[in-house]
Amino acid sequence: MSTQTRPTPTRGRASGREKGRNLFGYLLLTPQMIAFTAIGVVAIGWVIWLSLHHVNVLAGTQEFVGLDNYARILTDPSMITVLPNTFFFVVVLSVAGTVAALLLALLLNQALRGINIFRTIIFIPALVTMVAWALVWSFIVQPEGLLDALLGSVGIDGPPWLRGGWLTLVVFAVIQLTKNIGINIMILLGALQAVPQELIEAGRIDGAGSPRILRSVVIPQISPAILMVFMLLIVGSFKVFEVVLLLTEGGPGVQSSVLSFEVYKQGFLLNDVGYASALAVLLFALILLLTTIIWQTRKRVIFHEGE
Amino acid sequence: MKASKQFTPLRRIPNYLVLCLVSFVAVAPILWMISASLKSPSEILRYPPAIIPEEIRWENYTDVFALQPFAQQFLNSVVIMALVTVLTLLMSIPAGYALARIRPIASGTIFLALLSAMFIPPEATIIPLFQYAAALGWVDTHYPLVIFTAALITAPIATFVMRQAFLTMPADFEDAAAIDGSGRWRTMLQIYLPLARPSLASVVVLACWYSWNQFLEPLIYLRSPEKLTVPVALTHYEDPIAGPLWGVQMAATTLSVIPVLLVFFFAQRHVVAGLTAGGLKS
Repeated sequence: MSTQTRPTPTRGRASGREKGRNLFGYLLLTPQMIAFTAIGVVAIGWVIWLSLHHVNVLAGTQEFVGLDNYARILTDPSMITVLPNTFFFVVVLSVAGTVAALLLALLLNQALRGINIFRTIIFIPALVTMVAWALVWSFIVQPEGLLDALLGSVGIDGPPWLRGGWLTLVVFAVIQLTKNIGINIMILLGALQAVPQELIEAGRIDGAGSPRILRSVVIPQISPAILMVFMLLIVGSFKVFEVVLLLTEGGPGVQSSVLSFEVYKQGFLLNDVGYASALAVLLFALILLLTTIIWQTRKRVIFHEGE
Repeated sequence: MKASKQFTPLRRIPNYLVLCLVSFVAVAPILWMISASLKSPSEILRYPPAIIPEEIRWENYTDVFALQPFAQQFLNSVVIMALVTVLTLLMSIPAGYALARIRPIASGTIFLALLSAMFIPPEATIIPLFQYAAALGWVDTHYPLVIFTAALITAPIATFVMRQAFLTMPADFEDAAAIDGSGRWRTMLQIYLPLARPSLASVVVLACWYSWNQFLEPLIYLRSPEKLTVPVALTHYEDPIAGPLWGVQMAATTLSVIPVLLVFFFAQRHVVAGLTAGGLKS
């Protein structure tokens, strides 16, 4: 837009200036583009290429096997557990994460005394590294740990939290969700505070109650932020990794494992690089697919998409 | 809860109850970590556990440094973090400026390509990147943690943030600067860049935070204890037979958490802006 406002005395000089401008732009973009292409684009191409090969790390040989590695995903018995686990986290963390962050943001947006203290406290887990958070929680949920003691004080025997099954997945989901919810609350809180007060007043004058104002004014106004939080959570939910590695290593068996952990296990612990690459491609494809679908449907759910 | 503007004190009680419960879930693990870091090995596994250690044991903190070169590992994390941040700024400021204000031909496509980088999970590229690092002789060095991270993850997000910042600035400055005879570089560095200071702070925070938090990458690339970064080092406080040395591990974890909390309390606004930057500015 700024190029159009420029005075252009003669055609020849103008196009010369335009060329200089383009060159300057590309010069500024060069470091980022070279680095991104040389590392990112090459890595994506390379992982796809590796996924089509049987790689023997020790002998240093690679044998083209076509889609065999992908076919193996379909027949691998551990995938019957790993893929549903992965989707469990995607669904639970994205939906529960968005709803919980929204409810807490609404709660923290009120003019209550001491609200700033609560805002600060609830943000604290976001400042702890995921590894530290996972280690502290592994200490809390260990047998006869803090959680068992808390439950024991009200007469409940703590179940074995980390022996697999749905309970372990729920424990992981809680650890993962509490870690980053502060960031999402802050994103939504920022959006809530930007809702024009006149709109809410106008609704009130029209006789709408608080639930109605929330549903018809506030939620539509902050819907772009809600979508952003939802997308961030979807992308993040595929990266449940530290908790799995540090608390159970995916076990017992693969009962508490997820796709991202299997990539690491197959690629770096079992040295099955071709298969791990196929799993990595699947992981990437799933994220791309989901985010594309959500992005495409945004026009239907987002109020005034005018960015 | 939704009745935000109804000022009946009784209706606030449930609000406070929920807030207190959530705050408890947020803070209890941190307090428990500090408590455990001061307990003796015999007390730490006692059941039912006590919140206040009956005897404060500072030796856990000295053991942190005795068992591993933790000071060195901490320094590694800080140096890597600083380098990632510098590289991120060097790449993202010019790129963001070009995409927002210069807009050379095809800049829309370039922007989309960079945006897509935000959705590539590190697990998806770690295998080729490890082979890459091995071919370059970078295994057990800090190069991949600085260069790969900045190029692939922090700089694209930062470019996104910087582009948004430069987009909101008026174009008139550019024309005024051109009339005053200011060159393109000067216009960028002396006129527009100072105006982008809040976004620069966000970029610094998000790059630092991403690097400080990284676990998978250092786990894969690094081998020697004196090269490790803090998150990986924290997982090494284990006895091969007896399992985790909880007291020492919690002491090390506390040491890794406290500096970040201090930074947060002194620069709360910038930290929140930085950590939410990826989402907020879209």
